[in-house]
Amino acid sequence: MSTTQGAIAATRFGLGARPGEIAAATSDPRGWLLDQLKRTAAVSLAQQPLPTGQEGAAKVVEYTQLVRQQRQSGDPDAQMELQRALRSARRDGFGRELIARAALAERTDASFNERWVRFWSNHFTVAITQPLILPLVGPYEREAIRQNAFGSFRDLLQATSFHQTMLVYLDNIRSFGPSTRIAQRRGVGLNENLAREILELHTLGVDGGYTQQDVTEFAKALTGWTIKSPPLANSDIGAVTFEPRLHEPGARTVLGQRVSEGADQASAVLDMAAAHPSTATHIATKLARHFVADMPPQSAITTLSRAFRDTGGDLTELAKAVINLDAAWGEEQVKFKSPDELLVSTARMVGSTNVFGGGQARDVYTSFGQVPFYAPSPQGWPDTASEWAGPDAIMKRLEWANLVAQRTPSDIAAGQFLDEGLGPLVSADTRQAVARAESAIQGLTLALMSPEFQRR
Amino acid sequence: MTKRPFTVSRRMVLAGGAAMAATAVSTRPAFAAPSSGNKLAVIILRGALDGLAAVPPSIDQLADWRPNVMPENPLRLTSSFALHPALGGLHGLYTGGEASIVHAVASPYRGRSHFVGQDLLESGSTGDVLRDGWLNRALQSAPTPLSAVSIGPATPLVLRGPAEVGTWSPPVLPEASGDTLARLGDLYADDPMLGSALAQAVELDAAASDMTSMGRTARGDEAGAALPALARLMAAENGPDIGVASVGGWDSHAGQIGQLNNALSRLDAALLAMKDEFGAAWARTQVAVVTEFGRTVKENGTRGTDHGTGGAAFLLGGAVAGGQILGDWPGLAERDLFEGRDLAPANDLRAIFMAMLGQQFGFSRSELTRTVFPGANGVLPLTI
Repeated sequence: MSTTQGAIAATRFGLGARPGEIAAATSDPRGWLLDQLKRTAAVSLAQQPLPTGQEGAAKVVEYTQLVRQQRQSGDPDAQMELQRALRSARRDGFGRELIARAALAERTDASFNERWVRFWSNHFTVAITQPLILPLVGPYEREAIRQNAFGSFRDLLQATSFHQTMLVYLDNIRSFGPSTRIAQRRGVGLNENLAREILELHTLGVDGGYTQQDVTEFAKALTGWTIKSPPLANSDIGAVTFEPRLHEPGARTVLGQRVSEGADQASAVLDMAAAHPSTATHIATKLARHFVADMPPQSAITTLSRAFRDTGGDLTELAKAVINLDAAWGEEQVKFKSPDELLVSTARMVGSTNVFGGGQARDVYTSFGQVPFYAPSPQGWPDTASEWAGPDAIMKRLEWANLVAQRTPSDIAAGQFLDEGLGPLVSADTRQAVARAESAIQGLTLALMSPEFQRR
Repeated sequence: MTKRPFTVSRRMVLAGGAAMAATAVSTRPAFAAPSSGNKLAVIILRGALDGLAAVPPSIDQLADWRPNVMPENPLRLTSSFALHPALGGLHGLYTGGEASIVHAVASPYRGRSHFVGQDLLESGSTGDVLRDGWLNRALQSAPTPLSAVSIGPATPLVLRGPAEVGTWSPPVLPEASGDTLARLGDLYADDPMLGSALAQAVELDAAASDMTSMGRTARGDEAGAALPALARLMAAENGPDIGVASVGGWDSHAGQIGQLNNALSRLDAALLAMKDEFGAAWARTQVAVVTEFGRTVKENGTRGTDHGTGGAAFLLGGAVAGGQILGDWPGLAERDLFEGRDLAPANDLRAIFMAMLGQQFGFSRSELTRTVFPGANGVLPLTI
């Protein structure tokens, strides 16, 4: 076995080495990763006092009603005051969520697990496209993603599709069975957004073999899945519920199969989509792109796709297949880090205070074009170098690296950064450039910007 | 942003050195080409602009299909078409002969995925998405050398490919020293991807040196931030001939009246600001504002519209023969709709792009159909 495998385990499969990790992983790199899968509870943020999805949704319902009442009462000052209070309350909760999440990524000793969680969180993207969603993204990742990322794909799909956040994000709470009395009285109807994205992005993939008819029928099956709120509900506000009065009645055919009428209809379609052969290929392709190369070899896709199908979509077994995939252990670093990967891996070496400075996290994320939970579309963040390595992006990274180096005066020397963060992956050129730097700050800037640290 | 004047001039000095670094990795400096002075910009509206809301037809009973999402008081263009009331600036350009409309227009894509739709629009292919963009292929096969830039940290697919292009966005953080920049250039000497990216970034930063006013737009105003910046970059001395910018926020599944009022107002203001920033170069400029597809003719159940097919495109600039509605109009009768729900794609976006490349840069039709738009033999360029 080559000497670089321990470093690859920590940097390509994990979120980047913490000091000492490369040494710890070197004797048995695959075993070091597989051992993490016995500690999947490590991805939980449960020890933090953070709100549930239902609490977040209940708050949103409550705020919305308060705003409506204030608007009717017509006092502009009171209205402004309320809006301000709501905004800061929402921001506050979101901020604590981001800090807890960043701290976990920075400190975890099971960082493959955390990478795995983030992969699925991105696969099942929700994004803050409207203020309503802000208090809901954190609960979504904790409840739908973290709790299911090592279970079955089927359960993960059910959990994400029927979570408050997804129902809001992809408009299902505003989709009504066209023939229902409520729809006819209010002049509202079907919205096919959620159905389409589940088939196109979450399961079969765009060429996976579904039709417009499948989308429409699936959208009808999904009608009725909503969040409990007045006037239809007066208790358990914020909980996800199936409301028959909003559901388009009738048995229907989706993906060539008949699904009978009832509350379980949408769930049955999700199970069909989870078990569809195109889904295995779609997931395998994205995993291979994430762990092997931007344009992964077909053989890697086939191996992972088979693992997905053979285990019935068991995600822990799929993770093992990824770890045991020889193609993912190539000596050459070919994956260019996304901004988030760069920031997390740097934080694991120099600490997040140095990465972001005082209160500048948002500026850094913004200049890098990857603010957490603000993905530009339901497709999530891109996973290829061509999207992240443009000239402007490199300049932004350099500006940031320079700041990090200035903030990290004596915590870690550049040479130590290379040894602990990259170990045997460091090239002679990089070592020499860092050694000859005109200052410690410049040395660390160059180490952060080195081709080896910019890739994984 | 306050430190621009100083650090930028330092970078401008450096640009020469970085250009040498670029040569070392066998590239030519992005802006070194002699320029005809003609400009071509493509603005991509991501998320599928509702062309029927932007350019409502008055010859058909659109309100029969969508009574709850009709914009009030549209601005008259012809006896048959009008413009959304938030597009007052564009209306002025149209009546002044500097803007035209292509309606019922689409790429060859007939599905309804935003992502594949955008990829196909940008890669310029007919079926499978290609790995490079049609503007990059145009750079490779141009009769005279051309240079290109896009706004934003990432290169959009339409410009991706073997030919080098620049990207630029306003700086947010303080800058690294020139010396660090030079040393990093050395460190990247054997890394083609990072090396050429860094070299171009240095050049672009120099070109954008007087852009101190950029970044002052309202938070979230993507059009206001990107479009004038693009125009200023392109209008600079030896500025790029071709430019691309993207504006999101068009996926109006719900409550589209308010969403489009906001988004179109910002776009309209940004287009006028673009004209200002182009200055004298405006006379030799063609801008195409395009989107991946249109939206359903019928409104959906949430006062919005879902993914459709035929959309609308705006053409503007001093080099556009404006004041025209170009192409065919398929009508809105039930039998005329595509798959019973969408405005039929009567016109091809590639006809616009081919016309622009031909008129602005002298591309021959055969070159266009051979390399830039393979499979477009049957597409007749418009006269724009």
